[in-house]
Amino acid sequence: MRWVDFKDSVKRFWSEYKHQVSGMVGLALLIILFVLALAAPVLTSPNIPKEWQTGQAWITNPKNAPPSWENYFSSVKKAPQKVFKLGDMQVKHQINGSQNVYTLTFSYDMRYNVPPKNIVITGIASNASTPKDNPKVSIMVQRPKEKGVKYENILLLQDSPFPNGGAIQLGYTPQVKSLLFYWLYENGVFHLLMPLQPQLPLSIRLLQLNQQLQMNNTLYSYFQSADPMRILFGQITDSKGHLLPLREIVYNTTGLMGNYKFTLLIRSPKDVKVNLDNIEVTMVGRTFGSLGTDQYGRPISIGLLWGIRIAIAIGLSVAISTVLIGVLYGVTSAYVGGWVDELLQRFNEFMMTLPVLPMLILLSLYFGGKISLTQLVGILVLFGWMGTAKVARSMALQIKEQTYIEAARALGAGTGRIVFKHIVPQLLPYAFANIALSVPGAILSEAGLSFLGLTNPNMISWGRMLNDAQMNGATINGYWWQVIPPGLAIATVGLIFVLIGVSLDTVLNPRLKRA
Amino acid sequence: MAMGFGKYIAYRTVNAVIILFLAVLLMSALFTKLATIQYTAQVDSDVQMWVQGYFKAHHRAPTQEQILNYKAQLMHKYGLDKSYWGRTWMYTVDTFIFRWGNSIEPVFGTHNVVKQIEGALARTILLFTTAQVIIILIGLALGVKSAQIPGSLLDRTISILAMLTTSLPMWWLGMLMILLFVVYLGWLPITLYSQVAVSGWVNILKKMSLPVLTIVTVSFGGWSWIIRNIMIGTMQEDFIMVARAKGVPERKVIYGHALKAAAPPIVTMIIFAMLGSMSGAIITEIVFNWPGMGRLYWEALQLNAVRTMMALNYMFAFLFVFSMVLADILYGYLDPRVRVGAAARA
Repeated sequence: MRWVDFKDSVKRFWSEYKHQVSGMVGLALLIILFVLALAAPVLTSPNIPKEWQTGQAWITNPKNAPPSWENYFSSVKKAPQKVFKLGDMQVKHQINGSQNVYTLTFSYDMRYNVPPKNIVITGIASNASTPKDNPKVSIMVQRPKEKGVKYENILLLQDSPFPNGGAIQLGYTPQVKSLLFYWLYENGVFHLLMPLQPQLPLSIRLLQLNQQLQMNNTLYSYFQSADPMRILFGQITDSKGHLLPLREIVYNTTGLMGNYKFTLLIRSPKDVKVNLDNIEVTMVGRTFGSLGTDQYGRPISIGLLWGIRIAIAIGLSVAISTVLIGVLYGVTSAYVGGWVDELLQRFNEFMMTLPVLPMLILLSLYFGGKISLTQLVGILVLFGWMGTAKVARSMALQIKEQTYIEAARALGAGTGRIVFKHIVPQLLPYAFANIALSVPGAILSEAGLSFLGLTNPNMISWGRMLNDAQMNGATINGYWWQVIPPGLAIATVGLIFVLIGVSLDTVLNPRLKRA
Repeated sequence: MAMGFGKYIAYRTVNAVIILFLAVLLMSALFTKLATIQYTAQVDSDVQMWVQGYFKAHHRAPTQEQILNYKAQLMHKYGLDKSYWGRTWMYTVDTFIFRWGNSIEPVFGTHNVVKQIEGALARTILLFTTAQVIIILIGLALGVKSAQIPGSLLDRTISILAMLTTSLPMWWLGMLMILLFVVYLGWLPITLYSQVAVSGWVNILKKMSLPVLTIVTVSFGGWSWIIRNIMIGTMQEDFIMVARAKGVPERKVIYGHALKAAAPPIVTMIIFAMLGSMSGAIITEIVFNWPGMGRLYWEALQLNAVRTMMALNYMFAFLFVFSMVLADILYGYLDPRVRVGAAARA
C-alpha cells in the first residue's frame, strides 16, 4: 500500500467514523482517560506507586472514612479532613534564655456535629543529636465561648518530645486524655474524694487525678471509654448553662461549633536547629475527600486515578497481542492448509478446552502467586487468541479463493508475501474492531485475578482495590465507597472500548465476517 | 473423500477424546509441579514439628535414622517418593478414567473427591443452570421481539443494555447486590451471605435470589442482542419474503419459518451455555459464599488438594469438549446443509 493510498483511506474512514455518535463519545472519553492517566503524577504525586503499599504516606488519613459530600445528604455533619500547614499558621520565634521557643497559632472552624477523629502533628525536623535535645511540643486550645463554662482554655499536651520523622497523635496520647479530664474536673463536671491541691505542680496533680480515677470504678470506665476528641470539641453544658453529667459528655456528646484557637509551643535548646517548613497539623476527618478512604487510609480517588494506567496498559497490550497472534495464526492455518491446518486447528481446540480462569489462577500460583504486570499480560495473551484465530481462519479461507490471490501466486509470489501483502491487509478492519472489543475482556480478567489476590500488591489496579474491599468486608460493613467506584471504573473503561469497537465494526463494514 | 455423517461424528468424538486426554496431561504436569513445591515445604515443616514433639515427650532428640524414617513415611503419604513424571502420569490416568480417589485434606467436609464434586455440581446446577434457563427464556423472548421491528425503542434499549453489561464484572455486581439488598435495605439477613452453609429450602431459595438476579442481569442483554442479530439475519432471507408474499400471517412467519431456520446457531449457543453453566463461576461463588464448583476449586487450591483440583479441571474441560461434540451432532440434525457439507469436507 502506498502512502497516498493510506492517507486517503484514513481520510475516508474518518469521514465515516465522524458520524458515529457512540463512536465519537467513546473516542472523546478515551482521550479524557489518556489525559488523566498521563496527568496522574502531576495531579497527585509522582511517588504514589512507591508509597501505595508502605502506608507511611497515609498515616494522617482516617481509615474507612466515607466521602465528605455524604454530609449534604445527612443531618449529622461529620468533620472532613483538614490540614494546617506552616502557611496557615502565625509563627513567632523567641529566644528565651537557653531555649528556642516557637509559637504557632491557628484557628480551626469547627462546624460539625461529629468532630475530627484525631489530631496528628507531623513534620517537625531538628538536628538534635541526642533524644533529650529533641524539640518539645506543648499545645493549648482556646475553645469557643460556652454558657456556664468557667475555663475555656485547655492545656492539651505538655512538653511532649518530638523525634525526627515522628508524629504526635493527640487522640491516642494518654496525657491528652488526662489533661482533658483535669480540665473537666476544674470546670466542676465531676468531683474527687480528695480535691486536688492547686499549689502542687501540675504533674503531681495529674498523677493524683489518675490515681483517684482508677480507684473509682464508674469514673474510670468513663475515662477508659472516652474519646478525647469528642470531649475537646464537645459541649459540656446544656442550653441553660448547667453542666452536663459526665456520662452525657462521654457518651452523648454534641459538637460545640465555633472557632478553636490552637497554640503550639515548640521548645528546643538554643544550639539545636528546628525546621518547621514541613509541619502539618492534621484534623483527621470522619469523612475524607471526594471518594473516601480504604482500610489503610489510602484515598480511593487516588487509587482510581492511577488504576487507569494499569487498566489501559493491560487492556491494550493484551488486546493487540491476542488479535495479532490470532489473525496470523488463523491466516497461516487457512493459507497453508493440509495437515498443517489440521494440526493448528487441533491445537487451537486444545487451548480452548483448557478452562481459562482455573488455568490463569494455576499459572499465577506457578509464578509465585504475586505476578507482575508483564507476567499477567503474558498469561492473558496465552489464553486469549483462540477465538480470533478461528474467525480469521474462516475469513482467510474465503479470501484465499479469490482470483487475485491466484494471480499473485501465478506471478510467483511466496507464501509470506501473499499472507502479509494480500490476505492480512484484508483482515485489518476486522482486527481493529476486534482489538477494541477485546479490551474489556482483558481488563475483566485482570480484575478477576487481582480480586483473588494473585497479582502484585504494588500494582495500583481496580481489581486490587476490590480485593482490598473484600478483605475489609466492605460489602457487609456498608463501605459503599470502597466497592462502587473501582467496579464502575472497570465497567466504564470497558464500555468506552465497546462503543469504539462497535462503531469501527459498523464503519469498516466487515462483509467477510461469518464464514 | 466423502464419509457418512455418522463417521464424521465418530471422527470428531475420537478427536475430542484425544484433545481431552492431552489437556488432562498438561494440567496434571502443572499441578504435580505445584504440588511438589508445596508438599516438600509441608513435609519439612511436619518433620520439624515432629522432632520438637518428640523432644518434649522423650526429653532427647530422635536419632537421625528415626527422623529419616518419619520423613520417608510423610513422603509416601504425599506421594513424593515417586518420580515427577511417574506422579504426573498417575494423576493423568486416574483423573481421565474417573478414578478420582481421596484428597489428602478434606474439602467441603469429605476426603472423597467424587462426593465433593457431586455436592458442588448439584449446587452449581441449582444456581447457575437455573439462572441460565431464565436468561435463555428472557433472551429468546426479547431477541425475537426486537428483531421484528429493528430500530424500535425495545431494539435500541437491548443494544445499549448489551453493550453496558458486556464489560460489567459479574462478581462486582454481586457485591453491589449484597450492599443494596442486604446491608442498606435489609431485605435479606446478612448471615445468608457471610457464611457458606444454610439449612432449609426456604433459606436456600432466599440465598439463591441475589446470585440469580445478578447472573440474569449481567447476561440477558447480551443474549437478547445475539438472538436479535441471528433473527434479523434470517428475516432478510428470501424464503421469509416468499412466505410474507404468500400471505402467511406474521406470527407464523416469525415463529414457524424464521425461528426454525435460525434454530441451529441458537441451539448451539444454548448447549454451550447450559453445559458451561455447570462449571459455575469462581469469583461470583466466592462473593456469595455459594459452595459450588468454582468455590470448590478455590478451596481445593488453598488446601493443595491436587486430586480435587485435577478432577474439577477435568470436569470443566469435559463439559466443554462434550458441548462441542453435542453441538456438532445437533447442528447436523438441524441443518442438513451442514450434515452434507461436513461429511463432504471431512
